[in-house]
Amino acid sequence: MDIIVCVKRVPDTSEADLAIDKGGKDIQKGGLDYDINDWDRFAIEEAVLIKEKTGGKVTVVTVGDEDAEEMLREGLARGADEAFLLWDESFEGSDGYATAHILAAFLKQRSYDLVLTGTLADDDCGGQFGGMLAAMLGVPVATLVHKIEVKNGSITVRRELEAGLSERLDIDLPAVVSVATGINEPRFVSIRAVRKVASIEIPTVDRGELGLDEADVGSAGAKVEIEKVFLPPEGEGAEIIAGSPADAAARLAEILKEKGGIA
Amino acid sequence: MKTIYVLAEHRQQHLRDTTWDALAAGRDLAQKTGAELACLLLGSGVDAMADQLAKECPKVVVVDDPRLANFNSEPFVKTLTGLLAGQDSYVLVIGNSNSIIDLAPGLSVALDAALATDCIGFEVDGGKVKALRQIYSYKVNALVSFKGASRIVATLRSGFFSFAPSGAAPGAIEKVASPLGDEPLRKRFLSYVEAEKGDVDIASADIIVAIGRGIGDEEDLSMFESLADAMGGVVACSRPIVDKGLLPKYRQVGTSGVEVKPKVYLALGISGAFQHLGGIKGNPLIVAVNKDPRAPIFRAAQYGIVANLADVVPALEEKIKELKG
Ligand SMILES: Cc1cc2nc3c(=O)[nH]c(=O)nc-3n(C[C@H](O)[C@H](O)[C@H](O)COP(=O)(O)OP(=O)(O)OC[C@H]3O[C@@H](n4cnc5c(N)ncnc54)[C@H](O)[C@@H]3O)c2cc1C
Ligand SMILES: Nc1ncnc2c1ncn2[C@@H]1O[C@H](COP(=O)(O)O)[C@@H](O)[C@H]1O
Repeated sequence: MDIIVCVKRVPDTSEADLAIDKGGKDIQKGGLDYDINDWDRFAIEEAVLIKEKTGGKVTVVTVGDEDAEEMLREGLARGADEAFLLWDESFEGSDGYATAHILAAFLKQRSYDLVLTGTLADDDCGGQFGGMLAAMLGVPVATLVHKIEVKNGSITVRRELEAGLSERLDIDLPAVVSVATGINEPRFVSIRAVRKVASIEIPTVDRGELGLDEADVGSAGAKVEIEKVFLPPEGEGAEIIAGSPADAAARLAEILKEKGGIA
Repeated sequence: MKTIYVLAEHRQQHLRDTTWDALAAGRDLAQKTGAELACLLLGSGVDAMADQLAKECPKVVVVDDPRLANFNSEPFVKTLTGLLAGQDSYVLVIGNSNSIIDLAPGLSVALDAALATDCIGFEVDGGKVKALRQIYSYKVNALVSFKGASRIVATLRSGFFSFAPSGAAPGAIEKVASPLGDEPLRKRFLSYVEAEKGDVDIASADIIVAIGRGIGDEEDLSMFESLADAMGGVVACSRPIVDKGLLPKYRQVGTSGVEVKPKVYLALGISGAFQHLGGIKGNPLIVAVNKDPRAPIFRAAQYGIVANLADVVPALEEKIKELKG
C-alpha cells in the first residue's frame, strides 16, 4: 500500500501562558515551542505499521514553511520513506479549506491507496481537513478511527462514537482516514534512526508545481476569516486557594472534608 | 439569509440532544436574520421523529431511505447535496458530535459552503452571520466571518445553546423523494461495537481523582492511587493517559469515554477540554490542581490550586490522613 500521511506543525499552547498580539487576530507566537500535532504522530505510526505488514511506501507531507522541515524529518526517522514540504509565500494565511485545496492538488499528481491524517489539530481546533480533502479528491473518508484492518482493495475501520460506542465500517480504497489518538503506541525514535535519515533530501513543492492559482491559496483562497481573537475573561469560575502549595493543599483537604470529598 | 436549516441527528431511532441544541441556535439565528427556519430529517422510518420535530419547527423536510438509517457520511452528503442543490443564502446548523465530525467538512465542500466547526455562539452584524469558536487548545476565543459566503455550514458545541420547547402550532412535514441513485456506496456501515467493561465502574463512584497529561512522563501512578485511597475514591483520567496506555479506556472520563456523576471530582493536571468536561454530570464539586491559571478547568471548578502537582499531591494526602485521624 502506498500511504500518504498529512502532518501539521503546531505551537504547544496547552500549558503556555498565551497573549494576544497587537493586530488582535492571532496570539503572540514568539516564545512558544512548536511540535508535530499530537494526533499526527499516531497517523505516521499507523502508516508505518501498515507498511510493515503489507509493504509499499509511506510519504509524509505538510503545508508549511521551512520550519516544518524538522517535523518531516522526524516522520522519516519514524519510518516514512519520503517527505515533501508544500510551501510558497502565497500559502500564508490559508485556512483549513485552502490548506486542503493545496494538498488535494499535490495528491492529484500522485498515486496512493490511503491518506492518513489526524482528526483534529491543536491550533485551529478545526477537525475539518481530512473530510475536506476527501471531498476534494472524491474519495470516501472516515474520521476518529481507532482501528484499521487492511483487506484487498478495502479497509475495515472502527470509528469512535460517544460513550465508548464504536461503529465498524467497510471503506473502498483509495480513501482518507483521520485517526484518533490512542490507535497505536508511537514508537520511540532513537538517535540512530534520526541520523540515518539526516541526509534524505526533502523537496519543497511550490504553487507553480502544484498548478494552483494565487486566488486558490492563502487568505485569497480561504473561506473563513478570523476577525478578532480574545482571551475569555479570567476570574470566572474557581476560587483559587492562595498560599504556598503545601498550605493550599492543607486548605483543600479541609474543603474536601467539609464537602464530602473524603469517605 | 433566506433560510436557516437545522440537520436533525439521531441514532437507533431516537433524536439526539444535539438536534435540540441545533434547533435552539437555528431559532435564534432565524429570528436575528429574519430567515425561515426548517429542519432536515434524513433517516429510515422516521415518522415519529418528524412529528416530534414538527411540534417545535415550522417546517420539517423528510427524506426516508434505508441507506440513511445510520449516520454514514457518504449517503448523507449525497442526499443533503441533492436537497440543497441550486439553493443559496442559507446557514445549515448541526449539533457537533462524533458522527458530525465525519460529515460536516466533506458536506461543506460538496455544497461549496464555508464551514465553522464547534461554534459556541453567533453574532449577526448587518445581516451577516459571524461565528464564535475556540482555538489554541480551546484557550482562545475567535470571532470568524465567512467572507460574504451565501452558504454556510456551522457545527455547534453542545451545552452552549439551550433549547426551550415552544409548544407552537404544528409545523408542516414535507416528504421528499430520496435523491440517492443506485450506485453502490464506497463506505458501508457494518455494526456498532460496545465498549469493554472493566474491573472498576467509575460511573458509579462518588469520589473521583482524575489525572491528566499534567502528571508528566511518570509512569508510576502510585502517588495518585494512594491519594484516591486516602479519600475513599477511585482513579480516573483524561484521554491522553489512556492513549499512553497508562490506564484502560474504561477509566477515561469524557464524551468518548465514560460519563461519571460523582459528588466530588478532583482534577489533577487536566486542562478541562470540553470533551473531558462533557463526561462529568450531575454538578459535582469540582476541584482542580493545575500549573496554568488560564486552564479552562478552572472555569468549571469551584476551587482551584495553581501549582505543580508534585508540590500539592503528597501534602494533600498527608493532610487528608491527618483529618481522618
Ligand atoms: C472527538 C473527541 C473526543 C474526545 N474525547 C475525550 C474524552 O472522552 N475524554 C478526554 O479527556 N478527552 C477527550 N478528547 C481530548 C480532549 O480534547 C483533550 O485533548 C484532552 O482532554 C486533554 O487531556 P489533558 O487535560 O489531560 O491534557 P492537556 O490538555 O495537555 O492538559 C494538561 C494540563 O496539565 C497542566 N500541567 C502540566 N504540567 C503540570 C504540572 N507539573 N502540575 C500541574 N499541572 C500541570 C497543564 O497546564 C495543562 O492544563 C476528545 C477529543 C476529541 C476531538
Ligand atoms: N497544513 C497542514 N499540512 C498537512 N496536514 C495538515 C495541515 N493542516 C491540517 N492537517 C491535517 O489535518 C488534521 C486535522 O487538522 P485541522 O482540520 O486543522 O484540525 C491534522 O491532524 C493534520 O493531519
